[in-house]
Amino acid sequence: MFDKLEQVKHLPISFGDIARYVIVPGDPNRVPIISELLDDVQHQGQNREFNAARGKYKDVDVSVVSTGIGCPSTAIAVEELSHIGAEVFIRIGTSGSVDGSAQKGDIFIATAAVRDDGTSKQYIPIEFPALADIEVVDSLIKASEALNVPTKVGVCQSKDSFFGEVEPERMPVSEYLDMKWKAWQRGGVGASEMEAATLFTLSSIFGLHSGGIFAVETHDKETIHKITKIVLESIYYMEKGAINA
Amino acid sequence: MPKEDGIEDAKGGLLDETVQYHVQLKKGDISDFVILPGDPGRVEFIAEHFDKAELVAENREYKTMTGEYKGRPVTVTSTGIGCPSAAIALEELANVGASTFVRCGTSGGMQEYTRVGEKVIATGAVRYEGTSIQYMPIEFPAVASHDMVLALKNSAIKNNLDHHLGIVQSKDSFYGQHNPEKMPIADELRQKWDAWVKGGVLCSEMEAATIFVVGSYRKVRTGAVLLVAGDQARGESLTKEEYKENMSESVKMILDSSLEIEVEI
Repeated sequence: MFDKLEQVKHLPISFGDIARYVIVPGDPNRVPIISELLDDVQHQGQNREFNAARGKYKDVDVSVVSTGIGCPSTAIAVEELSHIGAEVFIRIGTSGSVDGSAQKGDIFIATAAVRDDGTSKQYIPIEFPALADIEVVDSLIKASEALNVPTKVGVCQSKDSFFGEVEPERMPVSEYLDMKWKAWQRGGVGASEMEAATLFTLSSIFGLHSGGIFAVETHDKETIHKITKIVLESIYYMEKGAINA
Repeated sequence: MPKEDGIEDAKGGLLDETVQYHVQLKKGDISDFVILPGDPGRVEFIAEHFDKAELVAENREYKTMTGEYKGRPVTVTSTGIGCPSAAIALEELANVGASTFVRCGTSGGMQEYTRVGEKVIATGAVRYEGTSIQYMPIEFPAVASHDMVLALKNSAIKNNLDHHLGIVQSKDSFYGQHNPEKMPIADELRQKWDAWVKGGVLCSEMEAATIFVVGSYRKVRTGAVLLVAGDQARGESLTKEEYKENMSESVKMILDSSLEIEVEI
């Protein structure tokens, strides 16, 4: 899809420094935590909110690169990562709960995202669905089953305003926010986060592969490690042949 | 908590005992697994692939036959053309016990590599239609159920059928797609069409987006198999014989997928 580039503008890494599989957390501080589960880890540096590391899981080459908070910086990360050779993106993140189907402490695998973001609309009109890659979702589900970790599977919402979700009453558009939130609750949205819609939309239109897995209202290291194990195992499944890019 | 004499459907809602206004069906008339063609004229053709089938209702564009395939109860109901009548069909069928809906339709190919005769298994749909936004804001994704997509894919592989997996476009105006230059909003139609093509959308049809969105809200399982019956850019279409043969393959793919779906009612 893209011309491969030797250098990119924002990332601390360039062509040749990246694995085909990239784990993309939002938080740069989560990159070393996720990397603890890799062998032969190389910390490649940080520029702005983009922190990069690379290592191996069962001999499969895996990168970990943070996107920063929100869809604007996620779009930059996805574009530049794909320019330098990445093809499969799995977001590890934290989320809020929406309709109650997923609650505090649950692990949520997203099949698709509500495009309550501004970035993805600058790529393709809003009617287009933000879908996770079916093979990535399938690998995540199979990996969590193999590891005996219960998960919830469903649609997540990606928003641009964090405080619009947690304190909608103080926003000038509070009624609009309330009305939409009620629709997401009734329509079956399980989790709320801030990057998946753009990650899924861009991957879909550029012929890349992406998925997302979230800790619902939980941020501790133990949960992040539990999720990371699922993601690494899913990458191993994909590398063994489930995904054909 | 079931009300007196009420029985619960698969998702814990209450089944409606009354005859539904448009589809003219009541509880017991249908199975949990419903195939949705657009054309009422295709209902009998689809039912011919069952091991047994009988006509249970016919009203307006809604014609329903229920029967069995390899011991599994199955139903086929036509939706008519377009999302408005498809939403009515899904709602009323869900009221009387349907919990899985698979659209069996035709479509126009949109990519170089989508050729007439091939089947598209929809993973999601572009919501370029007016019905689903009267349910859920436009930002919500029209997404097929993950397990249904996988069951259809497995069935296609088992039956050795040429197929694609991906996003389809649902529109309201058939002639807006076929003769965009005649429409007052020609520029918008062309601009969006180009965006869908660039975004990798596989084919164009008229019901999937609403089936997926209303399905999410009703907490039922949805999927769609679209036969590429025409190709505007190449000026290709299927002959009547080719159409029958290929539609038959679509039906078989859906029926075999039903064997992977648990009977929930």
